Amino acid sequence: MGCIRVDKITEYLCDPLQRCLKDDDPYVRKTAAICVAKLYDINAELVEDRGFLDSLKDLISDNNPMVVANAVAALAEIQENSSGPIFEITTPTLTKLLTALNECTEWGQVFILDALSRYKASDAREAENIVERVTPRLQHANCAVVLSAVKMILQQMELITSTDVVRNLCKKMAPPLVTLLSAEPEIQYVALRNINLIVQRRPTILAHEIKVFFCKYNDPIYVKMEKLEIMIKLASDRNIDQVLLEFKEYATEVDVDFVRKAVRAIGRCAIKLERAAERCISVLLELIKIKVNYVVQEAIIVIKDIFRRYPNTYESIIATLCESLDTLDEPEAKASMIWIIGEYAERIDNADELLESFLESFPEEPPQVQLQLLTATVKLFLKKPTEGPQQMIQVVLNNATVETDNPDLRDRAYIYWRLLSTDPEAAKDVVLAEKPVISDDSNQLDSTLLDELLANIATLSSVYHKPPDAFVTRAKTATQKTEDDDYPDGNETRYSETLSNAANGGASPPSSSSVPHAAARQSAPAPAAPAPAAVPDLLSDLIGLDNNQIVPADQPATSSGPPLPILLPAGSGQGLQISAQLVRQDGQIFYSLLFENNTQITLDGFMIQFNKNSFGLAAAGPLQVPPLAPGASARTLLPMVLFQNTSTGPPNTLLQVAVKNSQQPVWYFNDKILLHVFFTEDGRMERTSFLETWRSLPDSNEVLKEFPGIMVTSAEATLDRLAASNMFFIAKRKHANQDVFYFSAKIPRGIPFLIELTTIIGNPGVKCAIKTPNPEMAPLFFEAVETLLKA
Amino acid sequence: MISQFFVLSQRGDNIVFRDYLYKARLKRLVIVTTDRGEVAKGSAEIFFRKVKFWKEDGQEEAPPVFNVDGVNYFHVKVVGLLFVATTRVNVSPSLVLELLQRIARVIKDYLGVLSEDSLRKNFVLVYELLDEVIDFGYMQTTSTEVLKSYIFNEPIVVDAARLQPLGPAAIFMQGTKRMPGTAITKSVVANEPGGRKREEIFVDIIEKISVTFSSSGYILTSEIDGTIQMKSYLTGNPEIRLALNEDLSIGRGGGSANDYRSSYGSGAVILDDCNFHESVRLDSFDMDRTLALVPPDGEFPVMNYRMTQEFKPPFHINCLIEEAGHLKAEVILKVRAEFPSNITANTVVLEMPLPKYTTRASFELEPGVTGQRTDFKGANKKLEWDLEKFVGGVEHTLRAKLTFSQELHANIIKEAGPVSMTFTIPMYNVSRLQVKYLQIAKKSSSYNPYRWVRYVTQANSYVARI
Repeated sequence: MGCIRVDKITEYLCDPLQRCLKDDDPYVRKTAAICVAKLYDINAELVEDRGFLDSLKDLISDNNPMVVANAVAALAEIQENSSGPIFEITTPTLTKLLTALNECTEWGQVFILDALSRYKASDAREAENIVERVTPRLQHANCAVVLSAVKMILQQMELITSTDVVRNLCKKMAPPLVTLLSAEPEIQYVALRNINLIVQRRPTILAHEIKVFFCKYNDPIYVKMEKLEIMIKLASDRNIDQVLLEFKEYATEVDVDFVRKAVRAIGRCAIKLERAAERCISVLLELIKIKVNYVVQEAIIVIKDIFRRYPNTYESIIATLCESLDTLDEPEAKASMIWIIGEYAERIDNADELLESFLESFPEEPPQVQLQLLTATVKLFLKKPTEGPQQMIQVVLNNATVETDNPDLRDRAYIYWRLLSTDPEAAKDVVLAEKPVISDDSNQLDSTLLDELLANIATLSSVYHKPPDAFVTRAKTATQKTEDDDYPDGNETRYSETLSNAANGGASPPSSSSVPHAAARQSAPAPAAPAPAAVPDLLSDLIGLDNNQIVPADQPATSSGPPLPILLPAGSGQGLQISAQLVRQDGQIFYSLLFENNTQITLDGFMIQFNKNSFGLAAAGPLQVPPLAPGASARTLLPMVLFQNTSTGPPNTLLQVAVKNSQQPVWYFNDKILLHVFFTEDGRMERTSFLETWRSLPDSNEVLKEFPGIMVTSAEATLDRLAASNMFFIAKRKHANQDVFYFSAKIPRGIPFLIELTTIIGNPGVKCAIKTPNPEMAPLFFEAVETLLKA
Repeated sequence: MISQFFVLSQRGDNIVFRDYLYKARLKRLVIVTTDRGEVAKGSAEIFFRKVKFWKEDGQEEAPPVFNVDGVNYFHVKVVGLLFVATTRVNVSPSLVLELLQRIARVIKDYLGVLSEDSLRKNFVLVYELLDEVIDFGYMQTTSTEVLKSYIFNEPIVVDAARLQPLGPAAIFMQGTKRMPGTAITKSVVANEPGGRKREEIFVDIIEKISVTFSSSGYILTSEIDGTIQMKSYLTGNPEIRLALNEDLSIGRGGGSANDYRSSYGSGAVILDDCNFHESVRLDSFDMDRTLALVPPDGEFPVMNYRMTQEFKPPFHINCLIEEAGHLKAEVILKVRAEFPSNITANTVVLEMPLPKYTTRASFELEPGVTGQRTDFKGANKKLEWDLEKFVGGVEHTLRAKLTFSQELHANIIKEAGPVSMTFTIPMYNVSRLQVKYLQIAKKSSSYNPYRWVRYVTQANSYVARI
């Protein structure tokens, strides 16, 4: 019913649907229930006007469980796509659904359990009652039912205070979770990813069951990898011998990737369990003796980490490591070995010879190895300032400054050079400073993310270990967006000029991006698109919604619009010009693109790809550009998702884009990510929670920056402008003749920023202090604030 | 919920394709694709390419769930066919994967055999089934029994004899002449050529065992994954009572992994955990260990169970490796069957990785044995030993002389891999779980359907370290 999904059908659908919802046959009612969801997808207003939602809610009390299940599914679907509260679970609904649960088909049980998991029990008693009703579901043969039940129980457990009850529940959950591992490998994979999350929060549940995670030789590789991960998490002083024996066995298997992971696992156990470290190391040494090339390399990488964790404890094994020096051919292993040599140069008699052998091939090495070589040579020189090392350091510094075009290497070399030539003692303090002890936090999720993922157990996000908003594009914003394209709000216009500067600056490597690009700013090409439509900033924000309804839907989307910075000028794109920038609309991030075809041919088949970047920005769908006739242009909004393909290292703003079409070569250009695009709508903080958060963060998380060139002329206008970009005003106070403003903002993954702006109204100079759990984001944040204030 | 469902052949051809959310929309210059329905049309191709050339996180096999450009793909492999679902929303992955398995089973129930050929011949019926199973991406029912009243197409029967049947029951097809081979591959709805259906019911106790022996021959881990599978061809769906061992108990007390050893030999069967099909009523299960159920049509698992109780492994493996002079070594592999001599295991295969620089291996079997085959796989340096039949109580030995191309680095034992073994033993189960009787509620005194209760033990991961 209702499978013809076009608008015109809706008016014919309503009356039969009304009758069907009240039909005598349960088969008809259950089909009609789903049909309401279909109709809502085509025309939401109609469903609300005709009162179908109420009829749907009535069906929850239906006496046929299949109808109940479908009504719940339909309501959940509608809730998902709507912003208002449509399907709220009250205590009476809860009782009804729990009763229906026993009678439903297995699929219905999953629908109901998933819907109920949104219910927050009011107290521990109620939570216990719910858990009691749900526990029998753990015995179900359908894995989906079991996982949904586990999710429900875990959620209610948070409320239960009695430790006895909690311990009992943990005991009850263990066998069903283990049984999931007897299912098909595909299901096992999903179960393992979920178990991975569960053991991070409640390791006790499966503490005794480590044996079931031992790999079977016929497990698919993706199952084996997950099992290893869980074994590391469950390893303890009690079972480490058993676990090590397994790892050792895996390390001699055939599959290279699996072997590597097993070796790495041994290292991680050593770092995690201090008392077992020695045993782990002896296993690693045994493995090195087999002399299988990739095992040796992997072992050296983990031993480097073990040295970091337990400094000055296990140096006796260095001799064994040095034996396999010449077999190393992977950058990471080489770099690790060089680090070890440099770090313990004073204990290795022939350290200078060893390093020298590496130095011969310095120019050909990958950057990772070059950097380590540079540092290791400096360390060697500081520890043994004799003639040999002195010559070496000359060679290295020369190589690293003159003959390289890698800016990271060059910068580091210059720093060392300057340090060594001005004050060797200071150099010692810097280079040989004591390092903080590391701990095994690889693959450990931070607690806010873990909370969010645990709330999403038995969903896709628990398999990807990413919050839902990182890969799901909300449908509820989609309805408005189609119309919005034509009337972007004022934000875009404001940023466009600065963005074009920023984009040019972004092209240079991140290490030097702090240098002001005065030249780049001047040479920035003027925006080529027609002048912005005369839509005042604030006005469009305020009346944006009304605008949408007035605008006729079929207005051509190309013509008017704010100018976008040109990223690929026609000159370098063989006639194709691309202008683009990131924008935020209705709580979602888009990449707004303008294509202009100045060639003589029609261009079609446009595709876009983003390189790894610090925020994992990637396209949420294919690029939709119609074929471009000569002289034509097209504008499009590409929805973006976060945390797809995140690059490692400190965050930076570089966004590398590649665009291709069927007629031309692939074009690469750079864009710059401005942090304020990410500021979410829910960043507003209450005054009290602001104060609490401010106090709870250590002072080391406070970063300060001054903008001497910026002047705030009107407090109100500035506040409004910042609020429009989701930087929310919290309080204001006067200090001497200065005004101090407090704001809050938030970026995805729930990272808050607490901001203090100090300025004298009407005088140039703004001081900005921020506190955040992620201070490494601060430079990016300041850039964003500067852009916002300058406008 | 799910947006699309499709079945791909091994070569990536679309056999079945259904889009549950396809929406005709007005063509506009600017199209924003955030609607959950709009998983692009080319998704099948994108998916196949991704799976075929998977190379991520250092793995070469695609995980069953992954995300490409905002579209989530789920897939399971059944007899070489890829069953795939796509969605854009945050659904429960186990739900979708379970559904895909279930769809495969329902189609098999209807068609008798599941293969590319049978799917193509019956595509009308398959689409009719899919429309009942999924509505708007929401699963409605996957019970063959319930579906029967809504499905009107008749299956076109494909010649089953030359096709590999699907599912655990397939193992009964090998070698054993006692079973009516074709019965298990016949459709639940198709009528026999004679017009009357044969009244029969199959109950299979299938146990997959995983054992790891240490180098000194001790059992490191042992586990049984068992399932009681039922396939009913009874008309009128009479009630059935299934009685299991009376000394069956569930759940290890105490939670310690060791205290169950004390029960070894006492004869009691202790399951770690078990679950039941939704049609099973457990009213008297606690009292006398009987399961009462009205079996729906089609194949379904009545009960799944798992046990780690110690059991007698069916095979004992002994492996010796010795260096025999310069660049030479000898491997002696002994396998003893520890089950009674009236039982025969079939399709027994032993595999053992050899050191990397093995260039040649010559084999020596016991004099006079037949039905055994040995092979040295040069590409992945593996020794293979196939035994067609393995009678209980017998011991077989294989001697292999190896030649190496270079000096060994370390101990040879470190470089030769563990011995792994696969086998199937019909009419034997290691757990001692038994179906004591199978009672069918009688309609009349002349009603006496065929009842088949069959046991089988299979190796899941049977490994001896050396």
